[in-house]
Amino acid sequence: MNKPKLSKSGAPTIPMNEPMRWADWLAGRRARRETGQRVAPGIIRRASSSSDQRLRRLFDGERGLPFKATDEL
Amino acid sequence: MNPTQIQRALADITAETDPTLKHLKLASLVSAVFRERGAELVVVGGSAIEFYTEGAYVSGDLDFCVESAATALTARLRQDIMAQLQATGGPRSWQVGGLFVDVLASFENLARTPIRRLDGPYGEVRIAPVEELIVERVLISKYPVDYPPALECAKKLLAAALLGESETDWAEVERLANDRAYKNWIDVRKLVNEQAQTLQIGSPYHPDE
Repeated sequence: MNKPKLSKSGAPTIPMNEPMRWADWLAGRRARRETGQRVAPGIIRRASSSSDQRLRRLFDGERGLPFKATDEL
Repeated sequence: MNPTQIQRALADITAETDPTLKHLKLASLVSAVFRERGAELVVVGGSAIEFYTEGAYVSGDLDFCVESAATALTARLRQDIMAQLQATGGPRSWQVGGLFVDVLASFENLARTPIRRLDGPYGEVRIAPVEELIVERVLISKYPVDYPPALECAKKLLAAALLGESETDWAEVERLANDRAYKNWIDVRKLVNEQAQTLQIGSPYHPDE
């Protein structure tokens, strides 16, 4: 298998013209999270939407599952 | 996929507690069963943004649009397909594997860049091009009124693109932003330049670069 191209953050680059391997995408999760934190820190899940009722019913009052901490990625 | 393979996949997805992994695994499975019936789906919305950014944005909805279909995706056909996954509800929105899956309208995509592809655990996942997601989120962040959640998404998408985490055609971003469908080039250029400055890297739109 060819090694993926790496971004400036160290995450394997999501390619434009060929499929990304699952393992490569997984390997970049932490770096991608850290990049996002540099420009928009914290969890940015919307506080409400038109799907609120069904989401809060399914997720015990929340709008989705809790996110993993960056160091767990 | 045979029923045993589907059952194993569903068990894995149902047990998954990481929201981002759960979305992409389910996207892979749903895409696979639709593909077997001649239909290609594209992931749009929050799940697509999460794929590019790991941005802690996604909620409990997994949204698809229909890219192509060999035969009309009638309500009956959609119900038959989703029945394989023991989904409840329909005919455009179902509960399955601990998430809500919405199969919306045809994929409206102005980008000339390719739909991105991920070799998911149960089959290929097709994801809306990052170029159009950027321009769209910048638009939503400003119009009809300022909307901070969309601005934060746009910033994260831009950061990922600027650092090369997703291969991005900046000329296409510019073309889309100038298209009459968006007409937000000034806003896009400003935000790109601001994020590049925050990241202390060159901007594709800076005159000195």
